[in-house]
Amino acid sequence: MNRIAQGLTLVLLGAAALTSTVPTNMYLNWVKPGFGPFLIAAGAITVVLGAAVVAAEIRDGNRAEDDGADNSACATAGGDGHAGHDHARAPRVAWLLLVPVVAVFVVAPPALGSYTVERSEPASAPPEGPPSGRFDDGLDDAAPGEVVRMDIRQFVMRAWVDEERALAGREVELTGFAVPNDEGEGWYLARLQMACCAADAIVNRVLVTGVPEPEADTWWTVRGTWVEPEGELVDVSEHRFQALEWEAVDNPPDPYEA
Amino acid sequence: MPDRTPTSSSDSTPHASLGDSLATGWDERGDELPPPDWGRRAGARRTGTVWLFALFITAMAGAHAWLSDRLTSEAFLAWATVFTAISFQALPFLVFGVALSAALTAFVPASLYQRFFPSRPGAAVPVAGLSGALLPGCECASVPIAGSLVKRGVAPAAALTFLLAAPAINPVVMIATAVAFAGRPEMVLARFAASLLASVVIGWIWVRFGRADWLRLPAPTHAEGTARWLVFRDSMLHDMMHAGGYLVVGALAAASLNILVPREWLLSVAEAPVVSVLVMAALAILLSICSEADAFVALSFTDFSPTAKLAFMVVGPMVDLKLVAMQAAVFGWRFAVRFAPLCLVVGLLSTFVIGGLLL
Repeated sequence: MNRIAQGLTLVLLGAAALTSTVPTNMYLNWVKPGFGPFLIAAGAITVVLGAAVVAAEIRDGNRAEDDGADNSACATAGGDGHAGHDHARAPRVAWLLLVPVVAVFVVAPPALGSYTVERSEPASAPPEGPPSGRFDDGLDDAAPGEVVRMDIRQFVMRAWVDEERALAGREVELTGFAVPNDEGEGWYLARLQMACCAADAIVNRVLVTGVPEPEADTWWTVRGTWVEPEGELVDVSEHRFQALEWEAVDNPPDPYEA
Repeated sequence: MPDRTPTSSSDSTPHASLGDSLATGWDERGDELPPPDWGRRAGARRTGTVWLFALFITAMAGAHAWLSDRLTSEAFLAWATVFTAISFQALPFLVFGVALSAALTAFVPASLYQRFFPSRPGAAVPVAGLSGALLPGCECASVPIAGSLVKRGVAPAAALTFLLAAPAINPVVMIATAVAFAGRPEMVLARFAASLLASVVIGWIWVRFGRADWLRLPAPTHAEGTARWLVFRDSMLHDMMHAGGYLVVGALAAASLNILVPREWLLSVAEAPVVSVLVMAALAILLSICSEADAFVALSFTDFSPTAKLAFMVVGPMVDLKLVAMQAAVFGWRFAVRFAPLCLVVGLLSTFVIGGLLL
C-alpha cells in the first residue's frame, strides 16, 4: 500500500465517519447519541491527516520527477532507510480500513430490530434492582390516574423487581417496535438497550395483548396496563401488557434506549 | 536535540535484564521489505492508485444504488450493524490514542521519560501501572501509546504494564464501572485492584523472563533534524495504518461471533463456580468490547456470579481479539502469541485472588 493509497483510505474513512454524523443521523443506529461529537472530531482529524499525506506525496513526487529520481518511497524517511525498512508503505491489512467505508456508503446498516429480538431468549433472571432503591421511571411521582410514559426498560424493571407492585392498575404508555410472537397469542413490543454501541445491545420486551399484531419492525406507542402475574414476580420473565389504545410512530429519533 | 533512535536511547538505559535490553536490529517482516517495484517510476504508480480509488468510489455509488432495495437479509444487516458499531465505537479512541502517541514521539524529548520512569525496570513497572490510571481512553488508544513509549527508551516491561493498566483502571472506565455497578463500590475496587495487580505482575514476569527478540520494535522513523510536524504526521499515519487495519480484523471477528453465538448458550453454565468464570473470560476475549463499555455488558449477565463478572472486566481490557490483532501489528506476532496467554493466565489468577478477597 503506497502513501497515496494510505492517504486516500484515511480520507474515505474520515468521510464515512463525518457522513454518518453531520448530514445524517446514521450513527444513532450504531452508537450512543453522546458519541456524535467524538465521531465528528475523529472523522475530521482522519480526513485532514489523509489529505495532508496525499498533498505531501504529490508535492514530493513532483519534485522527485523533476530530479529524475524515484525517492518518493523514502522522501520523508531521512534517506538512510534504516536497514531496508521502507517506512512509507503500510501492510496489506490496512486495506481493511476500507471495509467500514463500504459498510457506511453501500450498506448503511440500519438499527438492530426484530431479528435480534427474535433470536434472543428473554433473560432468565431479573435485572439488578435500581441502585438507589428508587425507580427512575417517574411512576412514584405521578398523580394517581395519570398516564405514565416510561421506557420499556423501566417497565420491565418495575414488572420484574418491584415487590410493592406499584405498577398494578396504572395506565402506562410504552414506545417500541413490533416483534411477532410465533408461539401463542399477542405480539411483542420491544426496544434495545445500549450501553455503548450496538454490539452490547440487550433486549427488553413486553407481550402485548388486546390489539391485533402489526407488521414486524413498525414502531408503535401503546397505552395500556400491566397484567399482574400470579406468584412471585421474580419467576415471571414474560411481562404482559394489556393494550387499551395504540398509535403508529413515524421514525423515532433514537432507536435505542439508554 | 534529544536523541531519537532506540539504539542510542537504550544505551542510556541500564540493561537490568535481558527482557529490557532493546534489540538493535529490527525483525523485518516480508511486507515491509523494499517493494518489488522499487525504482519504477513513481508517477505511474501514483496515477494508478488515484484511478483505483476513483473506480472504487464509483463502484460504491453504483453498488449503493443497486443494492439498497435488494439487501434484505436480516442476518447480514444485523452483522453489518454490529461490525459498524464496533468500528465506529473504537475509531475516536484509536484516532486520539494515535494522535497522542504521535505527539509523544514528536514533541516530548526522550529524556523526560527517563526522568519520569525509574531506570530499574523492576521499579519502573509499578510506576507505569499507576500512571495507567491517568490516561483516559480504552485499549485501542493504549496500544500505539505503549509502542511509542518503547520507542522512546522506556523499559519494554514498563510500557507493557502501562499498556495493560491504562485501559482497565483509568478514570473514565472507573466512573463507567461505578455507574454500572451503582451501590456496589466493592466491584469498582475489585476491578481496580485485580487489573493493577495483573498488570504489574505481568510486567515483573516480563522483566524476569521476557526476551528482547520477541518484541519487534517500531522502527525509528526519522533521522534527526526532520521537522517535528513531519514526524508527527508520519508517526500518526503509520500507527493508523497498522493498528487500524487490525482493529477492523478484530471488529469483523467480534461481529461474526456476536451474531453467530447466541448468548443463551452461555447461560446454561452460569451456575458452575469456576467454569462460569472461565466462560465469562472467554466471552470477554471473543466479544472485544471497549473497556469503557464492558462494565455495562458484564452487568447484563445477571445469572453470573460477581467473580465471573469481574473476570469479564479484568480479562477484556487485557486480552481480546481486536487487541491481540493490534498488539501483533505494533509489536509483531512473535510477541503477541506469548503475551496474550500470559495476560489471560495472570488476569484469571488475579481475578480469583481479588474476587475471593473482596467479593
